[in-house]
Amino acid sequence: MDKLASLLHTTPAIVWMALKIVIVFGGVMSLAAIFTWVERRGSAMIQDRIGPNRAALFGKIRIIGLAQILADGIKMFFKEDLIPTDANRRLFWLAPFLAFVPALLGFAVIPFGKSFMSGGHTYHLSVLDPGNGMGMLYPLAIGGMAVYGVLVAAWSSNNKWSILGGMRASAAMVSYEIGMSLAVVAIFMTAGGYDPSEIITAQGHLPWTWNVVRQPLGFIVFFTCMFAETNRLPFDFAEGESEIVAGFNTEFGSMKFSLMALAEYSHMMTASALIATLYFGGWQVPFVKDPSVMLSVACFVLKLVFFAWVFVWIRWTVPRFRYDQLMRLGWKRMLPLSMVNLVFHAWRMSQGH
Amino acid sequence: MGVVVKKVELSWLDSTYVWPVLKGMAITFEHFIKQLFTPTSKRYTIQYPEMKKEMPEGYRGLHELKRFEDGAIKCVACFMCQEACPARCISIEAEEFSDLNITQGFEEKRPAQFKIDMLRCIYCGMCEEACPKDAIWLRKDYEVAAYDRLSMQYGKWDLMNTYSKVDGKDRITQDTTPTVPRRTIVM
Repeated sequence: MDKLASLLHTTPAIVWMALKIVIVFGGVMSLAAIFTWVERRGSAMIQDRIGPNRAALFGKIRIIGLAQILADGIKMFFKEDLIPTDANRRLFWLAPFLAFVPALLGFAVIPFGKSFMSGGHTYHLSVLDPGNGMGMLYPLAIGGMAVYGVLVAAWSSNNKWSILGGMRASAAMVSYEIGMSLAVVAIFMTAGGYDPSEIITAQGHLPWTWNVVRQPLGFIVFFTCMFAETNRLPFDFAEGESEIVAGFNTEFGSMKFSLMALAEYSHMMTASALIATLYFGGWQVPFVKDPSVMLSVACFVLKLVFFAWVFVWIRWTVPRFRYDQLMRLGWKRMLPLSMVNLVFHAWRMSQGH
Repeated sequence: MGVVVKKVELSWLDSTYVWPVLKGMAITFEHFIKQLFTPTSKRYTIQYPEMKKEMPEGYRGLHELKRFEDGAIKCVACFMCQEACPARCISIEAEEFSDLNITQGFEEKRPAQFKIDMLRCIYCGMCEEACPKDAIWLRKDYEVAAYDRLSMQYGKWDLMNTYSKVDGKDRITQDTTPTVPRRTIVM
């Protein structure tokens, strides 16, 4: 342990930073990849099916079908990469990255473990150290960027279905973002700051002091809006088999499509990390006042995986909305609800609670 | 013709949308857990190469040419099945065989060739209906596939041995002389 600590002290800050980036983004990306399998297997189980369990390493080692991820990846990688003749080539190339990068970037500011002191230095377990001035505003801003991925993909493929899908999705994303931001503002107010570590410490280690209990209304609004943000099933308006074929990724094939799909899952990871941080105490371990670093990281990952699973779970429970229903829900329910939530907490704070 | 659509009155709790979603999630989770802890053999899905579906009685699968206890073929080459076949996939060549040397002595007809083109066969079971001797049966084997067209031409010995493994019988590759004559020729 001492050796490890001394190694930590001697490594320059830049290496520590690079290590964090590799761990965080590598971790999130592999979790996203695993969740493509979890989604398929979980949905199968929910529908009393079995799901992909055949893919095996070297044709022998089955490991409950986990090799499916590898098989899918290899297949996607070696497929022909088609670009439609009239597509805007440059934007068509750019679109998958525009979808994928913001989905990952949002994770940068979220602390995935307790900060620890070692050799006179404080080490923070988040890619961007707390007190960077951006705090929770950063993932919200980056989340807004995700619209570009969908819209650019739709526009560049020069296909009516794609454009319709992209327009619908971006309209939904933009309208839900307002409700979501107002729900988050209520948290900023009660926590007294918009730095994620401040929000986490303000929530404490007891489950009933977490924001989900303090602001259940805000939680419902935020959670619903996250579904619209990630473009997942109750609100997946970017796609729609019966209406607009595959929506914004109609023209995308091979690795580009794979990136698009992976972007959705990375977005899901970031969204569940946000939910865990804002409403479920981030790395706080329930009933443990001063958890060890490893325990706090494990607890955060557990929460992350749980909420990602809830995303999958809800997808296979709730039927899709119609587009007008979505818009009505967004503007006439979610926005007023988050407004009520905000005003209520502002009033409570003014009463000195 | 108008249809009166009944409007569903939602209770206050249901109209919040949150509570019904939670109820739905409970249902799906119940299914998930149930399926997760069901052993593979009891799930609805049949894991095909390892598990096979037990076909119902009267299923019309791959044909079998029946044989007697002593291994002699039951078919008397009467061409009834060939005539009855709507797909025209059966072709029979008859032969006469006699063994007058043994005590009782008899003369009979049997197929020298009995071919079924499995690519043409529609598994209608007409041959089974037409057969006066119950010599051709359609049984439960449904795995009829091959890599080339030639192996789909089933000959007499293929058809006689199709179910020998299932029934625990020996494979036979040549006509055995019947030990007892089927019909004694009265001289």
